[in-house]
Amino acid sequence: MGLFQNIFGGGKKEEVIEIFAPAAGKLVPLSEVSDPTFSEGILGQGAAVIPTGNQFFSPVDGTVNTVFPTGHAAALTSSDGVEVLLHIGLDTVKLNGKHFTIHVEEGQQIKKGDLLLEADLEQIKAAGYDTITPVIVCNTEEFAEIAMAEVQAVEAGDVVLNLKK
Amino acid sequence: MRDFTYVIKDPVGLHARPAGLLVKKAGGFASRITIESEGKSAEAKKLIMLMGLGIKQGAEVVCRIEGEDEDAAYEALAKFFEENL
Repeated sequence: MGLFQNIFGGGKKEEVIEIFAPAAGKLVPLSEVSDPTFSEGILGQGAAVIPTGNQFFSPVDGTVNTVFPTGHAAALTSSDGVEVLLHIGLDTVKLNGKHFTIHVEEGQQIKKGDLLLEADLEQIKAAGYDTITPVIVCNTEEFAEIAMAEVQAVEAGDVVLNLKK
Repeated sequence: MRDFTYVIKDPVGLHARPAGLLVKKAGGFASRITIESEGKSAEAKKLIMLMGLGIKQGAEVVCRIEGEDEDAAYEALAKFFEENL
C-alpha cells in the first residue's frame, strides 16, 4: 500500500471525497428504499434522504450531465470524478414532470448547494408516490469504499457519503 | 462486429432502472458495447453516459457489439431489449 501511495498519491494521506445532502430530511441506507432498483444496488451504492423540504440542491461541485425532462432526477459528475444520480421519489418518472421544476440545464457547471430541482412533495405524496430520494454513486466500481455518514437528521449540505478511491 | 436496431417500447424510455439493468448485463461481457440514438452514442457499461442519451419511447437505438464474446453478448442484449425496453 505504501508503495502505491508513493506512486499514485505522492505519499499523501488517503483522500476522502465527500458527497453532501441534497435536501433536509432523514438519512437512511439504500436497503430501506422500497424499490429494488435502489435497494439492490443495481445503479450503485449510496444513501437516501427522506426529504422534508421541496428544494433539492447539488450534492457536489461539478457538472450537470443529464436532467431528465420529467424533472424527477439528475445525473452529475463531481469535479473529483464521482458520478452521482439524484432521484427524487420512487416511480416518479410516471408523473411525467408534474409537480417538478427544473432549475439547471445539461452541461451547466454547478457548485455544492446550487438549486437543481424543486418538487412539490405534498402533491407527489397525494398522488400516491414515495418521496424518498436516493443519492447514488453510479461509478461505484471506481471506489474502494463508500460509507454513509452516521447521522439520522440532515440539513441540505451536510455530509451523507464518504468515498475513498 | 454485431449490431441490432431496436425501437423503444417502454412508455418512460431508458430511465434509471432499465439503464442500470442494461449496464449490469453489458458488464458481463468483454466486448465493447455501444448504444447510439439520435446522433448520440454512449458505452453501455457507463450508466451516467447511457442515461445522458435521454432515450424516449419510440426512439430508434442501435446497439453495436465488438469483441471476442460478441455473439453471446448479441444474443443476451437482443433478448434484454425485447424483455425490458
